[in-house]
Amino acid sequence: MTSTADAQVTSPRSKKHGSFLGRTAGSPLLRLIIRRVLLAVPLLLAVSLLVFILLEAMPGDPARNQAGMDATEDQVEAVRRSMGLDRPAPERYITWLFGFLRGDLGVSSVSGRPVAELLAERLPVTLELVGLAFVLSVVLALPVALLAARKPGGIVDRLIMVFSMTLLAIPNFVMALLLVLVFAVTLQMLPAIGYVPVQVSLVDNLRSVTLPVLALAIPMACFYARFLRGDLGEQLLGAGYIDTARAKGAGIWRILWLHAFRNSSFGLLTLVGLNIGALVGGTVIIEQIFAMPGMGMLMLQGVISLDLAIVQSCVFIFAAVAIFANLFVDIMYAVLDPRIRYGSH
Amino acid sequence: MAVTSAPLRPELGGASPAPTLPRTGVRWSKFRRRMITWLSGGTVVLLILLCFLGPYVLPLHPPVGGSVLNSALPPGSPGHPLGTDVNGNDVLSRLIHGGQASLTVGIAVNLIGLVVGGSVGAVSGYLGGKSDTAIMRVLDVLIAFPSLVLVIVLAQVLGPSLPNTIIALTAFSIPAVARIARSSTMKVMSMPYLQAAQLAGSPWWRILFRHIVPNIVPQLTNFLMLGMAIVIVTEGALSFLGLGIPAPNPSWGNMVYEAQQSMSATPQLVLWPALALLVTVLSFNLLGESIRDEVNTR
Repeated sequence: MTSTADAQVTSPRSKKHGSFLGRTAGSPLLRLIIRRVLLAVPLLLAVSLLVFILLEAMPGDPARNQAGMDATEDQVEAVRRSMGLDRPAPERYITWLFGFLRGDLGVSSVSGRPVAELLAERLPVTLELVGLAFVLSVVLALPVALLAARKPGGIVDRLIMVFSMTLLAIPNFVMALLLVLVFAVTLQMLPAIGYVPVQVSLVDNLRSVTLPVLALAIPMACFYARFLRGDLGEQLLGAGYIDTARAKGAGIWRILWLHAFRNSSFGLLTLVGLNIGALVGGTVIIEQIFAMPGMGMLMLQGVISLDLAIVQSCVFIFAAVAIFANLFVDIMYAVLDPRIRYGSH
Repeated sequence: MAVTSAPLRPELGGASPAPTLPRTGVRWSKFRRRMITWLSGGTVVLLILLCFLGPYVLPLHPPVGGSVLNSALPPGSPGHPLGTDVNGNDVLSRLIHGGQASLTVGIAVNLIGLVVGGSVGAVSGYLGGKSDTAIMRVLDVLIAFPSLVLVIVLAQVLGPSLPNTIIALTAFSIPAVARIARSSTMKVMSMPYLQAAQLAGSPWWRILFRHIVPNIVPQLTNFLMLGMAIVIVTEGALSFLGLGIPAPNPSWGNMVYEAQQSMSATPQLVLWPALALLVTVLSFNLLGESIRDEVNTR
């Protein structure tokens, strides 16, 4: 999918864009980045519109919810007007969109507080979880994959592949509970639930996020390790440059790291980028299990209590993160691979 | 079909890839691959039989409506081989009935995804040009969402029930299948036999159904196995959050949730549905890999 899109961007056939962008931007890389960012804008708009339409279809009446069970019709109408729900849907969408761009995300109907304020409280927790899980998944996958690829078909390779396949088959919410069972209930080494802010104590903070981060990172790490091991193994079998390196007398680690891994890093980058969305989505369930006051939990509570302003913003931000991660991968491709930049591939 | 034909084609696979390996090594790896195909395929068949026929054939207790007097019996209790849960329901019976729900959702979602997503992708790839771009942009919007987030919102909009869970999950199955069908179609479109068919003046429907569809099915079958695993896990997550199969009806997801509530007293209750999910997901993943290897060696 990326390759066809790239071909469109850089092939001489798309003269129209080439001449237009050629005037605005000199370097091919910059041109490609601009083009990618321009493509992301309508996508973001469409995503926000879809979220809005979905929430319109949500059952229940938010105004009645807000007014309370025994409110009269007049009171419900008054609440409806104060929430702006009496205006037509397209107008409300436009209002929301421009509000969002100005940083005004509306007011939570359940807590009565501005959504931006709630998000500012919750965002650091989710960022910490996702950031640590992201780093850990890659850091775990690299040595494991290299170790397995060192001797394809060997006992270490087999063990790693069987082990990672098994771990990969455990859904993250089950993994979370198994971790709690082992490390919190049985060994009592780590807290089962709760989040300690880093301002209170760094050690307690790290202890409180260890299990949720592991639950998010382990399945991802297995996925990356298996992919990387497969890709490295394929190169060791057939690639000419590997044979050349071998003939020159390079050691296996040097071959793996300098010759094979460099090529595999592209595939790994794509995989990691595509999985940012899954990682962020995973926080919804993991934060719920570990009672982490993050964005995922905010969204889930919003969905269950029909707090439209919260769901609209949270879902949009989740989708935007995934879109930007893919955008970043596309751009990194061009940065790393000159063939894509100059369109000669 | 690809699965059953695997062991019947011993001449493929082993001969070409690594001529430097000793013959016994080649034979062993071929044997091992065949074993994995049979084991995972067999487990899948067994699971389907157990979950769909089990409730009629086996002397199971009803999965709901147990008495609190029988609460949390240990495994091996008379009449309850895996014990009972906190509500006094037979765990084995709930596992089998829950598996039926999970597999029903998995099969239904993937069939809908295959038919709808497959046609959308094949048509999009076949038409090419502006219509292709338009279709792909629409799919991009659906794919842009983290799948669990989109499914959670959809499930809440539709309300928790088995059919609604299926509908919510197709929202991420259809675009994923469509993308794979499209890229496979575009690969087929560049093949000489397709150009020959076009030159011979075959009508579009003939090209689509005689030449394109049969050639993209292997790729889609491989993805469907992985799709089964993904859908079953997502259904589990949804039911775990209380947005999927509504309690007290069993599903592996809501069984995990119920077990979480009494984790310190009865930790074994987490393990049964966890084990069921593990075995199912592992079998579908392995079967998918076997089919992929089979497709690639051809």
